[in-house]
Amino acid sequence: MSAQEYYIPNGTYWPIVGSVGVSTLFVGFANQMHGASWGGSVMAIGFAILVFMMFGWFGQVVNESVNGNYNNQVDRSFRWGMSWFIFSEVMFFAAFFGALFYARQLSVPWLGGADNNLFTPELWNGFSATWQQVAMNTPAAISQAGMEYSVPVKLVDTWGLPALNTLLLLLSGVTLTFAHHALREGKRNQIVGWLVATIVLGVLFLGFQIAEYGHAYHDGLKLTSGIYGSTFYMLTGFHGFHVTVGAIMLTVILYRVQKGHFSADSHFGFEGVAWYWHFVDVVWLGLFVFVYWV
Amino acid sequence: MVEFFIFIFIVVILVALGWGLLGMLKGGKSGSDKMFKSLVTRVVLSVILFALVMFAAYMGWIEPNNVILDAPTQ
Repeated sequence: MSAQEYYIPNGTYWPIVGSVGVSTLFVGFANQMHGASWGGSVMAIGFAILVFMMFGWFGQVVNESVNGNYNNQVDRSFRWGMSWFIFSEVMFFAAFFGALFYARQLSVPWLGGADNNLFTPELWNGFSATWQQVAMNTPAAISQAGMEYSVPVKLVDTWGLPALNTLLLLLSGVTLTFAHHALREGKRNQIVGWLVATIVLGVLFLGFQIAEYGHAYHDGLKLTSGIYGSTFYMLTGFHGFHVTVGAIMLTVILYRVQKGHFSADSHFGFEGVAWYWHFVDVVWLGLFVFVYWV
Repeated sequence: MVEFFIFIFIVVILVALGWGLLGMLKGGKSGSDKMFKSLVTRVVLSVILFALVMFAAYMGWIEPNNVILDAPTQ
């Protein structure tokens, strides 16, 4: 294909297969949460459809690329497509960080009587405006204790697992940078080694995140634990999901590196995934600083 | 004061990341170089920031997010 021709892809059924897979997965998940016995099975079917879609769709695009169907115009389209995707991701996390900021800096202090809310102490007598508001008492426990409102009963540990996880993710950024450098130098064995290290560090991060959730849940921090619990799980949960997606993408890139799909001069697939991983890394750094420390 | 430095670090890290995105969008040899250098800057700054936060916490300059913001007068 010449550089002047505008590439029009063939019709493909993979998007609708993906939609069916995601819908099935979430119908199963929602019903599982509501206690339906068939929820887990439907989830498994949806997940299988998604995996089938990923293999099929990724494989089709990779084959088109390797067979030389793509010209410079397609290359630019891919780069713009990735940029818009990134823009949507930035807006996504900006919304949750905004919610965290609003709750912590504005609404919780207001409820505690800050600024000119003179009557707040009268309306919410006994309410203590604290952050983190972890492990709020249940309505039944509040009633039993004769309290009017719930109070925070326990704080999350900021050292330990959160700090260790930050270190792991930062290290994965370092190993990925070495892989990137090796790719630009055309040293395939080194790329494979550094990419494997990056994926292992990402999986370790996810493992420790699950352990952290176990601790937090055991201590009573849940999605229902007031505004802190909600923002904590929404931010860290969606971040964990992005790490999972990033690890899958890196695994695909690892496979493509081994197949020799990239050269030192042409490797957009690697660049797109590398940038995504760096972005996820920075989001966690922001989470670590703003949720746990500053 | 430490919080101010941390905030500045985060802003610079975000700028480096954004610079890398522009490099990726541009493509070609110059775009690829720009992207790689920006991401290296991002990684180095991130590691320094993590070390700064841990050191500041160890020294007691910053404390975890568990302080009472505005407790009402009882």
